Amino acid sequence: MHAAGNLPENHNPTAAIATENLTRRFGDLVAVQDVNLRVAPGQFFGFLGPNGAGKSTTIKMLTGLLAPTSGRIEILGLDFERQVVDVKRQIGVVPEGLALFGRLTGAEYLTFVGRMYGLDRDICARRATELLDFMQLADQPRKLVTDYSHGMQKKLALAAAVIHGPKILFLDEPFEGVDAIAAGTLKAMLQRMIARGATIFLTSHVLEIVERLCSHVAIIHRGQLVAQGSLEELRAGVQAQSAAQPQLLASAGKLTLEEIFLHTVGGTHPAERELSWLG
Amino acid sequence: MARLTSQSRGQLAAIGQVRWHMFTHSLRTTKGALELFSRIVISIVIAAGGLGGAVLLGVTAWYFVSHGRPEALALLLWPVFLFWQLFPVMATALTETMDSSHLLRFPLNYPAYVLVRLVYGALDPATVLGTLWLLGITLGVGWARPGDLFLWTALVLAVFAAINILLTQMIFAWVERWLAQRRTREIFAVLFFLAMISLQLVGPMLTRYGERPNATFHKISRIANPVQAMLPPGVAAASIVGAADGRYPLALAFLAGLVLYAAAILRTLGVRLRAQYRGENLSEVSRDAALHQRIGVQPGWTVPGLSGPVAAVFEKELRYLARSGPMLLTFVTPIIMLVVFGIRGRSGGFLFNSPDLALPIGSAYALLLLTNLIYNTFGADGGGVQFFLASPASFRSVVLGKNLAHMAVLAAEVLILAVAVSLLFRPPSWLAVAITVTGLLFAAPINLAAGNLLSLYSPKKIEVATFGRQRASQLTVLASLVLQIVIFGIGALTIFLARSYARPWLAVFVFVALAIISFATYSLVLTRIDPLAQSRREILTTELCK
Repeated sequence: MHAAGNLPENHNPTAAIATENLTRRFGDLVAVQDVNLRVAPGQFFGFLGPNGAGKSTTIKMLTGLLAPTSGRIEILGLDFERQVVDVKRQIGVVPEGLALFGRLTGAEYLTFVGRMYGLDRDICARRATELLDFMQLADQPRKLVTDYSHGMQKKLALAAAVIHGPKILFLDEPFEGVDAIAAGTLKAMLQRMIARGATIFLTSHVLEIVERLCSHVAIIHRGQLVAQGSLEELRAGVQAQSAAQPQLLASAGKLTLEEIFLHTVGGTHPAERELSWLG
Repeated sequence: MARLTSQSRGQLAAIGQVRWHMFTHSLRTTKGALELFSRIVISIVIAAGGLGGAVLLGVTAWYFVSHGRPEALALLLWPVFLFWQLFPVMATALTETMDSSHLLRFPLNYPAYVLVRLVYGALDPATVLGTLWLLGITLGVGWARPGDLFLWTALVLAVFAAINILLTQMIFAWVERWLAQRRTREIFAVLFFLAMISLQLVGPMLTRYGERPNATFHKISRIANPVQAMLPPGVAAASIVGAADGRYPLALAFLAGLVLYAAAILRTLGVRLRAQYRGENLSEVSRDAALHQRIGVQPGWTVPGLSGPVAAVFEKELRYLARSGPMLLTFVTPIIMLVVFGIRGRSGGFLFNSPDLALPIGSAYALLLLTNLIYNTFGADGGGVQFFLASPASFRSVVLGKNLAHMAVLAAEVLILAVAVSLLFRPPSWLAVAITVTGLLFAAPINLAAGNLLSLYSPKKIEVATFGRQRASQLTVLASLVLQIVIFGIGALTIFLARSYARPWLAVFVFVALAIISFATYSLVLTRIDPLAQSRREILTTELCK
């Protein structure tokens, strides 16, 4: 039994993730406004934005943790509103809070998650063993998740998100607070998934990692999508603008993602500002 | 212990201020306003109990002192003492203390930390009630003998109150420590098992002493009286007696004894507080777990008749409960209550006179304790609730798995109670078993239905391994209280009427009829739980991922 295999054989959507005028309000605050995202199958997609721009709100809506105020979400061609269970079978999620159950062991947690996705008990146990080995979490089998280090918890959360073999993986800040060794393990797993045709949608503040991993990027600013495309397309767009307004660009040569990002959201390095009382 | 510096005083003021801000900000939401309303209602109930008890104790104290029997004040101080210490354990939902571990990142010195723990630890109903009752006793004594004895009593009982506050804190801190790890929990379980075996001796003992009440009672009194006189309630009473007789040196000596008790308890509490202050983490990891040994991953449980997701949640819940120290106490307290109410005095214990009520009452109390879990079923999951929302399993499966786990715990508890009743009194009659089972079939589903709704409407993150450092939502407490009054009122009335009309089996039939209605309500809630959960997902994630 393979929980993620419930789609028809000829199911071949043009977009893994597509949103149409996706909007979320919290009272008077419009956290996300008319976002139209399009992520093709097999893309490693980075979703960027300054703090409070609406990244987490968007990813929560895309994973069913938060209801949109208006707009439409399609995952693998399935309408999220009407086919919510089918959609959830196809996706894996590592949310901001990791969604772990602290008083289970890592193995218990993985088998629990597998069974919640409808996997057979023996398959759960086998995959849990493989995932714990791969993530280097198998050494302390009786240790409770609550006693794991932050990096170990991140690895376990990722393992849980993939145990049912999802076609799309949503990751909210997967590299935050993770050391270089753990980050290496996570990246290796994500690249394997991409190589096998999965789609990955991640938010991160670590732009170097996004630049290295992602083929496509979208930038959200004050709740609105301000850029979307491949890295080359974004780079070309910024360079085209800078040709008209050369003062926009600080450096010559190939633009980094950080420069594209800062240019897009209108940010500056706070080099000139200082706090007189800070030693 | 270093003095409280001006910096510490500033920090304490800041903590008070931040809690005030948190309180006022909480009123911005409907839930916060409902919480305040619930808190006010609960406070009124507590104040009524406190004032009623204070009047009763005050009048009794007046009677004892004005009739020249001040030594009998010990009879008043002991119940206050026992209530103060036992109530927080038996009603953890109502116990409000503060988890101050998050304060450790600030440069808070140890005395300030201790003060914060003690002050916020004292803000619970047991302390309010105990203080009011002691105030009643003080006023009663003052009414009988105004002047010196009144002032002395006030001083002695103030120290006695401090002892109670410190002792409650100490018990909580140490029980939390003992129940935090598998090894110590196993010791606790063995002790519990031994206690169960020893119950076999209690029954014959009670019977034997019951047959020869006078001689044996006096013999026990001769042994017990000096023992009680050495413990805080007895010492406090002795100090007041000394002052009443005008023997102030003796009164002072007993007061010094009380102060010594307070100091010893503070020191013992200090061991735990010092460890917490140093950033202790009560980890579940036992020594053998730290060994780097590899063992195969076990497949999850198979539970006949349950789908994979329901069985998975069932297994997860039972694993969680088995790793929760406070849950163990939930298992033990109904039996302690049976023993307390079953002890036969000169006029016979309540349950000793009506042993057929022991199983129904014990089971009702067990259900009452379980409402802590049932009414906040996602509380222990914390951020894990996001997984339930993101997974394809229906919320109905999740809730059903949790409910079944809680009912399995209740069934186990009732079985243990049945054994305890057999050992303490006599094996329960078929009627008692039938009333218990049908009564629970009525009370449990309706509690589950209400609990499932309140778990969605008033969720509150809790840490299952932490003992007494967190409180339930006041709205949940109030709703639970009202529902329990209604359910137990109906139950008690049914049994009373059936007994009055000499048709005890009638209660069984009434309970069966009520159980059908109760189960229908539960099913209705369960079928509608998914859309409800979807509409409440924002609240669930906000409250439980804090």
